[in-house]
Amino acid sequence: MSTESKIAKISAAWYLGISGGLALVFYYVTTLQNFPAVARFGGAVWVFILTIIIAMPVVIPRIKKKYQ
Amino acid sequence: MDSSITLTVHGMMCASCVAHVEKALNNVAGVKTAQVNLATGKVTASYDNQATGLIEITQAISDVGYEVAKEEITLKVSGMACAACVGKVEKALGSLPGVTDVTVNLSTGNVRLTAYAGAVDIAAVKAAVRDLGFEVLERMDTQSELDREQEAREDEIRRQRRNMWLTWPLGLIAMIGTMRHMWGLDKFIPHFMGNNYFLLAVTSPVIIFGGWQFFVHSWRGLKRGVTDMNLLYATGIGSSYLIAVINTLWPNAGFGGKNATFFEAAALLTAFIVLGRYLEALTRGRTSEAIRKLMSLKPKMARVVRDGGDIEIPADEVEPGDLIIVRPGESIPVDGNVTDGYSAVDESMLTGESIPVEKKEGDTVIGGTINKTGTFRFKATKVGKDTALAQIINLVENAQSSKAPIQKLADLVAGHFIMGVHVLSLIVFFFWFFVGFDLFFSPGGRFLLSTGTLETIGVFGFSMLLSLTVLVISCPCALGLATPSAIMAGSGKGAENGILFKGAEAIETTAKLDTIIFDKTGTLTRGEPSVTDVIPTGAVVAAELLRLAAIAEKNSEHPLGEAIVNGAKEKGLSVEDAKSFNAIPGYGIEAQAEGKALLLGNRRLMESKNVDFGAYVSQVEELERMGKTVMLIAIDNNFAGLIAVADTLKETSVAAIEQLRRMGIEVGMLTGDNQRTAEAIAAQAGIDYVVAEVLPEDKASEIIKLQAQGKKTAMVGDGINDAPALAQADVGIAVGSGTDVAKETGDIILIRGDLRDVVSAVEVARATMNKVKQNLWWAFGYNLLGIPIAAGILYPWTGWLVSPQLAGLFMALSSFSVTMNTLTLKGFVPSFKKKQAIA
Repeated sequence: MSTESKIAKISAAWYLGISGGLALVFYYVTTLQNFPAVARFGGAVWVFILTIIIAMPVVIPRIKKKYQ
Repeated sequence: MDSSITLTVHGMMCASCVAHVEKALNNVAGVKTAQVNLATGKVTASYDNQATGLIEITQAISDVGYEVAKEEITLKVSGMACAACVGKVEKALGSLPGVTDVTVNLSTGNVRLTAYAGAVDIAAVKAAVRDLGFEVLERMDTQSELDREQEAREDEIRRQRRNMWLTWPLGLIAMIGTMRHMWGLDKFIPHFMGNNYFLLAVTSPVIIFGGWQFFVHSWRGLKRGVTDMNLLYATGIGSSYLIAVINTLWPNAGFGGKNATFFEAAALLTAFIVLGRYLEALTRGRTSEAIRKLMSLKPKMARVVRDGGDIEIPADEVEPGDLIIVRPGESIPVDGNVTDGYSAVDESMLTGESIPVEKKEGDTVIGGTINKTGTFRFKATKVGKDTALAQIINLVENAQSSKAPIQKLADLVAGHFIMGVHVLSLIVFFFWFFVGFDLFFSPGGRFLLSTGTLETIGVFGFSMLLSLTVLVISCPCALGLATPSAIMAGSGKGAENGILFKGAEAIETTAKLDTIIFDKTGTLTRGEPSVTDVIPTGAVVAAELLRLAAIAEKNSEHPLGEAIVNGAKEKGLSVEDAKSFNAIPGYGIEAQAEGKALLLGNRRLMESKNVDFGAYVSQVEELERMGKTVMLIAIDNNFAGLIAVADTLKETSVAAIEQLRRMGIEVGMLTGDNQRTAEAIAAQAGIDYVVAEVLPEDKASEIIKLQAQGKKTAMVGDGINDAPALAQADVGIAVGSGTDVAKETGDIILIRGDLRDVVSAVEVARATMNKVKQNLWWAFGYNLLGIPIAAGILYPWTGWLVSPQLAGLFMALSSFSVTMNTLTLKGFVPSFKKKQAIA
């Protein structure tokens, strides 16, 4: 496995993990209140999208720095 | 060893891109500084060539998702006989820094090189081929940088215009369809136009074809961990389209239902963003018009005398020593000295001087200027990158690529802007989802400038729309363009007037100047003495006295003697040779001419020869008090009169100083000359602050004293002799360097010796910084005001909500208005030029 693809995979694991994690937390919190299912699912997806956009530029350079 | 390279980079859209590229380059080991100019798309890096190279630099730029522009150069090479020759040429050229690909066609002799634009010097390429023993017959085609830049800009304009033809009609159809159920429009608008499936069919091509570019760019960046403006567009467009599709296909999904599809939002948002990009492409290039104008001055062909005849060759093939013929109306191809012929040359494009300059044998001509009247021949002295025009272009380009200190805050904000906005968007979503909706939502509420209500929208749809609007309204482009676009226009405006700012910092500091110190000799004054007074006793008239003095001095090499000879010639007097001439060191001269014995010198000479001049002593002393050197003349041992000589003020000095004082700037003078002369000149010029008898090396310490008093000080002087003082001053202004700009010290170089250009430099700098401040206020103000309103901060009290499409319009207009505001600088005319034009 080349360094590039190794970096890409490790980075993906991190930013997907962070985004997925936050989306799950969001979903969990919404289940504690009386939100409609669409809001719960849709909200979780929106949180996932925004978080992945925030996480990618933070995670990728750090992983690159670590492994290059 | 340190090297520097300027590359053209495609794909940079906003200030975030600038920050990413700079960061990426600064992370390359060996790179010392990296600067990006968003307005020109140029990246300048200085680096230690032992530690890194062009490959690493271009790789770093590519790694963060941007493309380094390449150029193609085609040469015709003769003498290649076999495949081995091909291999040799390919290897030699391929090893040149910046060359990425070389293709040699043995049968045609064509050599095609692909290289990073701006990284390869054509002369070096030719030298490499010649070193192998081959001949470069001609350069077939090299696309100039100007052409490439223009082509790239035109491509972008064409692409966005094509997108507009698609997005606007369909966007408007989507808007009309969405509005069908409002204001009784259903009577006029066909039923099918309000159908969600029709709207889906109309909007989808807008998103797919018009908006696709933003998805591609943002994904490319994200893959490399880079966010830019495209990401904001893509998230905005993508999300609003997604809501519309869900509400159409699954109306009961809870996003507001079939009456809240917002297809027009997705379509018009795309249309507005495309419009913004189109306007930006149209206007962005215009801020660099000055450099474009300078580049377009580069003549393409030269008529060179070879083997007794004249042949036309490409101007960059001219070599020093070539004899060149220039006919009326033609551009002068390179710099040189006139060998024969006479003409008037228009140099306004380089010096700002509007009146054509006469050229005769021995005069210098500048490449890029235009021959107006006669035909002449000249010998090339400077070619290629050494010509004045090339140096000026280089200087202006460097200035345009540099960053003003005022830009630091904008850069800092812009560097973190995209991520910050996404974080804010997430916070806005959480707030409205968990808190705001329950507390403040009113089903009767509506978006600004929209009639549709939000009654069917749920908590998720509402929160997401506000979160989305925050992304769409924010505009780092305006922040990124605010300073560089104005600096670019300002340095271009300076160049138009013969004022070369060496960097953005020079412009910023010049605008803040409160004290300007002038060197005397050669700056305020002409730098050569001239006759100021001729006072005869009555035995001869003034003209005759001057003529006889000039005859006596004709063979003298003393500057005062030369001044008298020139003074006589200027008055049209004929200056014959003296019969005999004898210099008496420390006294003066004695000569025989036209049967008369002439004595010319100081008081001691007259006293030693027993010439009585007692009646004129008071006049002599009065003239000396005025800083003039007085020479007494005796004819046949009888006192005949006196001639005063002095270094006089340039015609324009008084007006320039008066104007500077009117602008609130203190004006002073530093000189090595004696106190009496200095004070006399200062009084004539209207200068109060004078420091005389200062050695050149002590001038810098005088500047330090002024700076210690908290004064922002500029020193105006000769770029070579006054170098230490120019370097010490906050702004060093080198005056009258002519066109040899490269060797000058100083932050500002004035091509002409006209001190009114100092005034113009301050005026241009002040106008430029005013634009920068206006732009920054607008860019910061827009974002600081727009983002909270988009986030719904006013909603609880006013019920105001900004729709995504309205946010898109605001965003598009934001960066457009910054560029338009900058473009008003194009109409700026320095006060003296304005007066000249009126006169």
